[in-house]
Amino acid sequence: MDLTLLAQGLVSGVLAAGLYALVSVGLALAIGVIGVINFAHGEFFMIGAFLAYQLYVSFGFDPLLSLIFVAPALFVIGAVIYQTTIRYVLKAPELNQMLLTFGLSIVLQNLALVIWGGDPRSISDVPYRSVGYQIGGVSIGLVPLGSFLISLVLVLALYAVLARSKVGRAMRAVAQNRIGASLVGLEVNRIYLVAFALSALLAGIGGVMIAVIQSPTPTVGFAFTLKAFAIVVLAGLGNIRGILWASLAVAVSESLVATLVPNGDALRNAVFFAIIFIVLVVRARRTA
Amino acid sequence: MMLRVDALEKRFGGLAAVQDLSFEVEEGEAFAIIGPNGAGKTTTLNMISGLLAPTAGRIELAGRDITEATSAERCHAGLGRAFQVVQPFPEMTVEENVMVGALYGKRGTPYAEARRRAEDALERSGLSALRSVPAEELTLLQEKRLEIARALATDPRVLLLDEVMAGLRPAEARLAVDLVREVRDRGVTVVFIEHVMPVVRDLADRVLVMDYGRPLASGSYQQVTADPRVVEAYLGRDDEEGER
Amino acid sequence: MRRALPDLLWTLLLAAAVALAPTVLKALFAQASVSYLSLASNAISLAILALSWDLLARTGQLSLAHAAFYGAGAYTAAILAKASGLPLAMGLPLAALTAALLALGLGSVTLRLRGIYFAIATLAFTEVLKAVVQELPTGLAGGAAGLNVPPLFRPHFVPGVMQRWEIAFQRNEAYFYVYGGLLVLAIAASIVTQRTRLRAAFTAVRTNEEVAAVMGVRPARAKLLAFVLSSALVGMLGALEAMRLGSVIPDGTFAISTTVFALVTPIFGGLYTTLGPILGAGVLSAVEETLKRTFAEGYLIGYGIVLVASILFMPRGIVGLFARLTRRRAAPPTSDVEEGG
Repeated sequence: MDLTLLAQGLVSGVLAAGLYALVSVGLALAIGVIGVINFAHGEFFMIGAFLAYQLYVSFGFDPLLSLIFVAPALFVIGAVIYQTTIRYVLKAPELNQMLLTFGLSIVLQNLALVIWGGDPRSISDVPYRSVGYQIGGVSIGLVPLGSFLISLVLVLALYAVLARSKVGRAMRAVAQNRIGASLVGLEVNRIYLVAFALSALLAGIGGVMIAVIQSPTPTVGFAFTLKAFAIVVLAGLGNIRGILWASLAVAVSESLVATLVPNGDALRNAVFFAIIFIVLVVRARRTA
Repeated sequence: MMLRVDALEKRFGGLAAVQDLSFEVEEGEAFAIIGPNGAGKTTTLNMISGLLAPTAGRIELAGRDITEATSAERCHAGLGRAFQVVQPFPEMTVEENVMVGALYGKRGTPYAEARRRAEDALERSGLSALRSVPAEELTLLQEKRLEIARALATDPRVLLLDEVMAGLRPAEARLAVDLVREVRDRGVTVVFIEHVMPVVRDLADRVLVMDYGRPLASGSYQQVTADPRVVEAYLGRDDEEGER
Repeated sequence: MRRALPDLLWTLLLAAAVALAPTVLKALFAQASVSYLSLASNAISLAILALSWDLLARTGQLSLAHAAFYGAGAYTAAILAKASGLPLAMGLPLAALTAALLALGLGSVTLRLRGIYFAIATLAFTEVLKAVVQELPTGLAGGAAGLNVPPLFRPHFVPGVMQRWEIAFQRNEAYFYVYGGLLVLAIAASIVTQRTRLRAAFTAVRTNEEVAAVMGVRPARAKLLAFVLSSALVGMLGALEAMRLGSVIPDGTFAISTTVFALVTPIFGGLYTTLGPILGAGVLSAVEETLKRTFAEGYLIGYGIVLVASILFMPRGIVGLFARLTRRRAAPPTSDVEEGG
């Protein structure tokens, strides 16, 4: 077996895992802390991508610069969506939440379609886009590396926030025991609002990065939603720490198959979901 | 001999919730299992109903080994159960709840016969008037009656009751006791967990005391309450942890 | 089964209405009726999708694999047409069989999975199946480009007697009838699980599987039965649509949108009822068509808004709304029409 090819597959996989983890961790916040099955999560990702694109096209903003605007914008958008819709289905059956968020997803996707059209848009003229490094025959693009590092930092920052900060502790309290938390004075609804807005923000940042790496279309969000759900479920509901590992596992497997197997690229999705399926089924058998 | 439990054990990791448990229940008996909180009583009942798999031991129902049987199979073999925390099917009416037991309690029950059994169960539990009420709108006593009615509709030979009296006012408890006694008088073997001692005194033919997952003493109510070990088990410890 | 008779009677009446509809439409609208029939078939297709999904949901299995069985049925018909000499109509029962077998397999391995875990597992299954179909030998299944499917009906043009538009009408009419027939089947399945002892089993399993088992219900049986019934229905629908469309292609035939529609429609109309999915399909089809004609571009934005608004104001669907408005009467013990999920 060609070792360089193997190494390349591994490296590409690890780099891709960063983005997966970033988007998934946001979703895990929504599901774990708020308890809402949000099928519109990927749309925040998509909005981030297109906002970055628009800032680039209208003002020539470098994507890194546009992060400064996109992040708070997505926070606000997330907050608004929470206040106007999500808030009302928190106690509803899961199916209702799914319907609501599917509806939101349709609205947002088509809004984007109307505004930007269906053609792929990418931030292509950024100077560093084609910069890459070669280490022993393995090429590492600067942009994928950068997005991996940014994602890693953000995910670890979130872990730290959850573990140590006042806000984070409040979120964990609410996630574990809503009634108990409100009894000790925590304003549950405000915490939910912050958590949701945060999840939107994280996804949005991921979106900015994808706009440079790939050429996103308005439908890119939904594909990421499904993958994010799969990763969250793989890590286990409530296990936010496990998301890094789950993302690594699927991203690396996806990448290895794409690199090593002939015609592997077409099988990326299948590999991703095959792993999810097998793990879920096997795990269920073990907890007899 | 209706129900036999042999060297039953349940370990969770290193902790033995139940161990060395053996007892027999005769047909038509009212057999009480008592003990301080955390003694393993509900765990035992869960193992008998098939909700929890024992780590060791055997369970026999009317001579048939049911240790490996599924909950549904045990029900078909004649094991009925009412739960401590009532578990009605909230979206269904009282009647529909009972019909679940009547239709599926035994395999291949024709609809007409199921109706008859359900009617009987409703009648005996005093729920006939409430038949069309959605289960989620019932009071606690009514819910407990529903638990029993639904279990009765499965036409059990052995009925497992888990702390039926919990949360009932004295007047309500008396009604519940009457119901259980009537069930027993009809020939159903009753195995029940109880904390309310007057109920145990009035109802039980025999009593088993459990402590720390082990059998401590058994015999008649008088014998068991006179046993100093039993007294110490109840009075010598702080009861805080609710047993699940 | 006796209790199911009144509803089955209604179904027969509906079947009669369906049988008469094309003739009536043609008389009223002449050429325009061609497109009306097509729209009606679309609405019926959505209703079948919704009814079959709702059937499965009654056991608490929230499936995201509906597109998988739809696609399996479609491809069965396509491959059948390509590789065998059997008449195309055989594609329908064979599609049902294929889908049912797949469902048996998937259902068995996912018995222990609940809630979102089950949903994601079924979603994963769909994606894998799509890839498998795509990687099958191109000679057999057409690879990424898909296969063409011959039409089920070739209209018979009689010059002089018929007008040109009547060719299309004949074709649409024929499909309409087959769709109608499948709808009747789906309704029958829904009614049987609603009016017989299966309702008790399904609801019990959905509410609390462990307690249901203690009462003697066998959860595995109930769940697998629902899965098989549901999948057979949607498999046949997939085959039918493939024949009407004229082609199958992995990305389109296994598209997640099929699953989304299958899920959204019964919730909108009212879960765990027979009327709900049908009403939901009718209303949503009408809404979509109206929006499309009014707005052309971006009409789906309005569609999404309708969905969002519907769940905020009608959490129990249309059927639930009616139940709330027409206050609950003392229903006879066997009635369940108002249950809105």
